[in-house]
Amino acid sequence: MNQALLVAKNLSRRKLRTALMLVAILIAFFLYGGLASFNRAFYASENSAAADRLVTVNRINFTMPLPVNYAAQIAQVAGVKAVTYQSWFGGYYQDPRAPLFMFAVEPASYFEVYPAIRMPPEQRRAFLSNRTALAVGKTTADKYHWKVGDHVPIFSNIYSRKDDAKAWDFDIAAIFTDPDDSARESIVLMRHDYFDEMATFGRDQINMAILLTDTAAHVDAVAKAVDARFANSEFETQTDTAAAFNRAFTAQLGNIALIVTLVVATAFAAILMIVGNTMMMAVRERTREIGVLKTLGFRNSTILQQILAESLLLALVGALLGLGLATGAVQAASRNIAGFGSNMRMSAPVFLGGLGWAVLLGLATGAIPAWTAMRLQIARSLGRR
Amino acid sequence: MTDPLSFQLRHVTKRFVKGKETISIFDGLDLDIPAGDFVAIMGPSGSGKTTLLNLLGGIDHVTSGEILFDARRVDTLTENQLSAWRAANVGFIFQFYNLMPVLTAAQNVELPLLLTNLGRKARRANVATALELVGLSDRAGHYPREMSGGQQQRVAIARAIVSDPQVLLCDEPTGDLDRTTADEVLGILQLLNREHKKTIVVVTHDPEVTRFTKRTLHLNKGVFVERTSLS
Amino acid sequence: MGRPFRQIAAIASMNIRSIPQRLWMSLSTVVAIALVVAVLLAFLAMGNGFRQAQSSAGAEDIAILLRDGAQTEINSAVSRDQRDIVEEAPGIAREAGVPLVSAELYVIVDGISRSTGLRANLPLRGLPLVGVALRHNVRIAEGRMFRPGTNEIVAGRSVTREFSGFDIGKTLRLGTSVWTVVGIFEDGGTVRESELWGDVGVVQSVFKRENFFQTIRARLAGPNALAPLKAYVDADPRLKLAVESEAEFFAAQAKQSSDLIQKLGWPLAIIMAIGALAGALNTMYSSVASRGTEIATLRAIGFGRIPTFVGTLAEALTLAVIGGIVGIIAATALFQGYTASTLSANFTQVVFKFQVTPALCVSALVLAVVVGTIGGVFPAFRAARLPIVGMLGDQ
Repeated sequence: MNQALLVAKNLSRRKLRTALMLVAILIAFFLYGGLASFNRAFYASENSAAADRLVTVNRINFTMPLPVNYAAQIAQVAGVKAVTYQSWFGGYYQDPRAPLFMFAVEPASYFEVYPAIRMPPEQRRAFLSNRTALAVGKTTADKYHWKVGDHVPIFSNIYSRKDDAKAWDFDIAAIFTDPDDSARESIVLMRHDYFDEMATFGRDQINMAILLTDTAAHVDAVAKAVDARFANSEFETQTDTAAAFNRAFTAQLGNIALIVTLVVATAFAAILMIVGNTMMMAVRERTREIGVLKTLGFRNSTILQQILAESLLLALVGALLGLGLATGAVQAASRNIAGFGSNMRMSAPVFLGGLGWAVLLGLATGAIPAWTAMRLQIARSLGRR
Repeated sequence: MTDPLSFQLRHVTKRFVKGKETISIFDGLDLDIPAGDFVAIMGPSGSGKTTLLNLLGGIDHVTSGEILFDARRVDTLTENQLSAWRAANVGFIFQFYNLMPVLTAAQNVELPLLLTNLGRKARRANVATALELVGLSDRAGHYPREMSGGQQQRVAIARAIVSDPQVLLCDEPTGDLDRTTADEVLGILQLLNREHKKTIVVVTHDPEVTRFTKRTLHLNKGVFVERTSLS
Repeated sequence: MGRPFRQIAAIASMNIRSIPQRLWMSLSTVVAIALVVAVLLAFLAMGNGFRQAQSSAGAEDIAILLRDGAQTEINSAVSRDQRDIVEEAPGIAREAGVPLVSAELYVIVDGISRSTGLRANLPLRGLPLVGVALRHNVRIAEGRMFRPGTNEIVAGRSVTREFSGFDIGKTLRLGTSVWTVVGIFEDGGTVRESELWGDVGVVQSVFKRENFFQTIRARLAGPNALAPLKAYVDADPRLKLAVESEAEFFAAQAKQSSDLIQKLGWPLAIIMAIGALAGALNTMYSSVASRGTEIATLRAIGFGRIPTFVGTLAEALTLAVIGGIVGIIAATALFQGYTASTLSANFTQVVFKFQVTPALCVSALVLAVVVGTIGGVFPAFRAARLPIVGMLGDQ
């Protein structure tokens, strides 16, 4: 036996009480782990975008169109390495309330601007050669159990077809992954020429041009140059880094970070009170024993350390359990929430941060009880029956 | 020639404040306890017996006066020094055993050894010796709740002697035991005094204790009346 | 001994009056439950406010027509020809022979949020003056309505409050032209107050959407006029439009968003409640333990098991209800009327207020009571089954 065992034994003194404390702490850290990971994934779209990638949209608002020939014009701006374009299709498969992240794109240039996209060469060729081909990200393909070769009908809640057919028919030509950005694996790509041919309006128009600069350092200069080119024209542009674009978008959803922080803070406040009071009570129950330890010769500072060690052990075990559960929950969420949700995973900063909070919690809940125990006067603590 | 003194109390005064009153336990008390003494201190409730024991053990402090142990002052030691001094020199035995319920008998006995530099093997050896001396080697792995009152008190004695202190201070050690068990415990104390030369001070209500001790001191309202018993 | 109710009342009141003896432990349970209730109520109030801002905007006697399959105004497309055909439809109210039909265009422009300083999407609705009349509760609070054919706009109250640059007299660039804000309108805090309005013809030309509309609104001639209008539209193959009352349309949109917030709020609150439950159980078990002698004495005197059980349960419920009430008061004080904005289904900012209602408070209180009940039942069992012998005297 050693002092560490003594600390652990003291916790096992009232097993039910220790278990209840662990549950409370576990819950708080489960919430922290889950919400912090959610927060990270939510704002990750700001960070994962490549530093050398810019998006150009209509200056009035990104929902307004740009002429398709802007892409060719942008390609001529100094510092632009490659440019592509896309249009939001507003597509859905079977359920109108579950929209797809579907874009009409120019295939060859799209893969130039997003070189990280991976698919077998024969699938790429099929997408490039077949007008009604569809390239689907792995996450969405798995969700709907699509395989290469399937024929799928997709509806648009924006665009209707010239031939009055309701559904747009596609052949699934490719299923791709993107190791750099797992959110991209939720995307569905159709060909812009198919769209231009069949849509009743919106042909020769694009939502957004995406371009790569030759180096990340030139990003600001190139953005300014592109916007200058189209200044005072019918369709003025606004060019930003993809990260800035995403950031402005997420900011509009609301101050999610603040909400997450507040919820986690209230959870921690609650357990701080609960666990702190319980530690206080536990120490008070052991007044006599603490006196006995002191008569045996244990120093006041040793008693202080023992109690702090107890509260730290409790906090760390509870935190590890809660963070472990959160890891599982986050994994499940990443499979079931589309878009940024698929980016959700337990990351080192969140996990280590949680352990750091656990240490602080342990110290905070143990501080007063440990101080009280340290200052206990032996004679009084032995007491008289 | 006098025996060397374990303890010397010189003109010890102990007062404490309770609300508006100041209560005086001792006023200028003197006491000599020679090394190897086995003394019982008796007296009515409130006479200051337990306070005297606490003062000897350094777990309570004098208002004025001096306490010397082996001719050196202990009333002026700091808390940390007192802790170290206690660990090395004093073993306590209480009326209600005061064992840690979460530890086994052996682990309870081992507690004082955690304050030393002894390695695990040495500690275990000492624990075994102590338990054997009190006759509880077969109960080493049992928890206090699994033992009778007498057995628990014997474990407490083992704990008190495991570091081989010079002095044992006992506060009503037989108060919670039946006659037979009490006599067993007192017999162990006597053994420790005779064969291991430990200085033992027993505070008690139990008149049978005087059959085992070398002398008896009667305390009444903070003053001694001495009577030497036949031993 | 005595009638059961007297026993129960006696023990319950003793239990409750003994709470101050375990003040800090009891307080920690009350605080934990209060926090759970406050968080739940905040989410519910948020969902409720969002839903109210949207749903209260819909009128029963206004029909709204969108392209078939478009779920939101921004995804819809309606041509001038289609509008002309609709104007002939039965069921539409007329004033002096003129059909009360408003074909409108919904464009997104940028504003700067006052609180964050970042760009936000705002709706600019182009509509004819008759369209203004179709919104019953709208009134001009300051300034005047825009004049048709000019670059004048009016701003909803929420827009002026939350976004900079929309005060009366200010000019600003929307699209490729400069506009002037000539008035501020109010509409009872509905989602309409998050909009900018301008003349439809001018908006169409500035944003290059000539002959292009997105929605048609029409005043219905009477309470049963929706059916004939729908039949007329369905029968005509040139009109691929969906017809609904405005009330239905907004209600559907509102339900979607409030569903989402509820789906977030309740699970979160329940998870937190489990933590609070652990605290409550802890408090109650220690209450039973610390009063063991008292309980045993009562049992020895002759009080039965049921009063003991109920007494402990009463103590737990008291703590829970106090916690629930504290949480409700705190949430109401902090959040009631708090203004926030987020993206609607139309990709534009909707400004709404957190709305705490008595019904929501009851839901939150129910959660507190559930926590108190579960947190009290098990310790109550233990109290009722405490052995009398061995608890009397010292422990």
